[in-house]
Amino acid sequence: MFEDIPVDVGHVYEGERIRSANMFVELAGPKSVGAELLRVVEKVDDGKIEVIGPDTDEMIEGESYKFVLQVNVQGDLLEEEIEGVLETKIHELSNYIQGYMHLNHRDQIWCRISKEAFESGFKFKHIGKVLGILLKEEFPIIQGIEIKISTDPKEVEKFVEKAMEIYEKRDAMARELSDEDVDVFYGCVMCQSFAPTHVCIVSPDRSGLCGALTWFDCRASAKIDPEGPVFEVNKGNTLDDVRGEYDNVNDVVADKSQGTFNRVYLHSVFEYPHTSCGCFEAVAFYIPDLDGIGIVDRSFKGETPLGVPFSSMAGQCSGGKQVEGFTGICIEYMRSPKFLQADGGYERVIWLPKELKDLLDDFIPEEIKDKIPTEEDATKIKDIKEFLSKADHPIIIRWEETEAEKIETKKSDDEIVMESTIPQVAYAPEISVPASGEFRIILKNAKIYAEKVIIRRNENKFDKS
Amino acid sequence: MIVAVSGKGGTGKTLVASLIIRNLLDKDLDILAIDADPDSNLPEALGAKAEKTVGDVREELKRETGKGEIPYEMGKWDVLEYKIMEAVVETSKFDMLVMGRPEGSGCYCAVNNMLRKIIETLSNNYDVIVVDTEAGLEHLSRRTTQNVDIMLIVTDTSKRGILTAQRIKELSDELDIKFKEMYFILNRANPKKKEELLRKIEDTGLNIIGTINEDENVTEYDIEGKPLIELPENSSSVLNVSEIVNKILYKKEIR
Repeated sequence: MFEDIPVDVGHVYEGERIRSANMFVELAGPKSVGAELLRVVEKVDDGKIEVIGPDTDEMIEGESYKFVLQVNVQGDLLEEEIEGVLETKIHELSNYIQGYMHLNHRDQIWCRISKEAFESGFKFKHIGKVLGILLKEEFPIIQGIEIKISTDPKEVEKFVEKAMEIYEKRDAMARELSDEDVDVFYGCVMCQSFAPTHVCIVSPDRSGLCGALTWFDCRASAKIDPEGPVFEVNKGNTLDDVRGEYDNVNDVVADKSQGTFNRVYLHSVFEYPHTSCGCFEAVAFYIPDLDGIGIVDRSFKGETPLGVPFSSMAGQCSGGKQVEGFTGICIEYMRSPKFLQADGGYERVIWLPKELKDLLDDFIPEEIKDKIPTEEDATKIKDIKEFLSKADHPIIIRWEETEAEKIETKKSDDEIVMESTIPQVAYAPEISVPASGEFRIILKNAKIYAEKVIIRRNENKFDKS
Repeated sequence: MIVAVSGKGGTGKTLVASLIIRNLLDKDLDILAIDADPDSNLPEALGAKAEKTVGDVREELKRETGKGEIPYEMGKWDVLEYKIMEAVVETSKFDMLVMGRPEGSGCYCAVNNMLRKIIETLSNNYDVIVVDTEAGLEHLSRRTTQNVDIMLIVTDTSKRGILTAQRIKELSDELDIKFKEMYFILNRANPKKKEELLRKIEDTGLNIIGTINEDENVTEYDIEGKPLIELPENSSSVLNVSEIVNKILYKKEIR
């Protein structure tokens, strides 16, 4: 298949690096410019390989050259959407060529040809030939393929500019990839060494809590490091598309958390929020007094509206626990259109640090941006409430609704609520005190001495007449 | 082959690492020097300068991720691979990678996991890798040196230096890290008291592969900040390390 290629071609050369001391020339990379682009087109001249500008034998040893690789593919089943997937494959397949180093993608490629390869007669058409064969082999839906390699400085520069526009369009599309578009999510148990029951579920709309792994990164990790901590999760049937609950995801979480949890909502802080490892970039926390959600990230050192800083809050909900009202998140998740969608998304967010807000400037909906206070506006519940009222934050509608409900429902005789006036010492969102018999004692907003003590009669099983 | 040099701080790890590299330069090998000491001074000893460390790469990625600047499709693996390649200092005779600063706050598990794999792939391209480890025992517990073939532990003549050397041996046994070979090097030995010291050290069960005598040239180069790799050929330390390398590589007369 590769008889007329002067160097070896094979899987074994993957990961080959060419030291500058052994290099003939360098293409693109940090010292020059270049790009590669794959496009799906209607018609190609199958097998055509064109080289524009100086070929290897016209180059000077040790120099860096501008470099463009253009691949046009044609096939009845090919669609524009698949261009990105095919294009990323160029990196892997190029590395099969002995004496040809290829790093990264797009306008960030960096290639080198070894002295040895050059001496054996390696030319640019050989790159085209190998890629043509391997791409067709890997993706049989490709029926025709033509490749153009350019080292002509003017042509390269012009092309890179054009390619950038196409990359941007693709990025916008990739961001739109959503949980519904895929069948496979990924799981990660890297943090189980210190959070033994934590299972990260990474979907297109929800990146790993540490912020390091997007769905795309996980796809790469599972492939590059199959023995590693990242694995495929078939999401299974959708149980609740708003909260983000899937039957098989639940099963995997149960299995990998040693049965500790068996349900998880990807897009809510209530009921069954995603467990939290300890290395999350931020925490989304419920503020009961205002029925809204606050966000605090690791770099914010001050106190949150709950009266504690990030570190204490992280201590309460980390270690692989599932604590209702709290969930660890990464900053990238706050750019997702599904960001806490079950709870109301940004319409439910009533506080976040200024720095974080600036970072998310393009993603917080315009109509609500100015209505969410930061530490510069308020940090105490009372002040936040005032700010929200003045700013006409949508949370107000929620308050009004709850108020209306309260008036309608008469307080049950079985529930005694005691309000306490003892000052706040420490904070816990909810504590259940073990009690026997027909009562449950729940301390809400416990601040060492409870702010509220609820003694509620359990529903009487025999009283159903 | 991966050779790591460890020991208590200030015992001469960097001297040993740089002179091993110096010794290998004319042997037509692809050599990678790795400076794994956060307080890095291998670059100065080798007369090379690192524009970017692995630590810088890690922070850069963290920053770019926070800002959402990394295109989804490209993925962090390939971006990191590129950045690490950029961090490699390439000279005509050897390449060098500086690990640099330790992690800041936040989680670096995933990034470190990727980095480990990428540096492993990179390392496979070299015949010899010489690692100047961080002082003390941390590299063992963090298991950053677990793929090392030959562990060289440098000690000076001080009791504490010898104690650290002993602890490195004990801890690696305890953690079940199996170096193919592990040897000790006695540095700054005073020729008159050497024999007596060597006997003492052998009593502790450490396997001494060689000694490096006190060398005025080294002191002078250190004071002037001149690269140790450029020490004159007839310097005693250069000759001593050359003997050690011969013993390691050609397995002659190990005591």
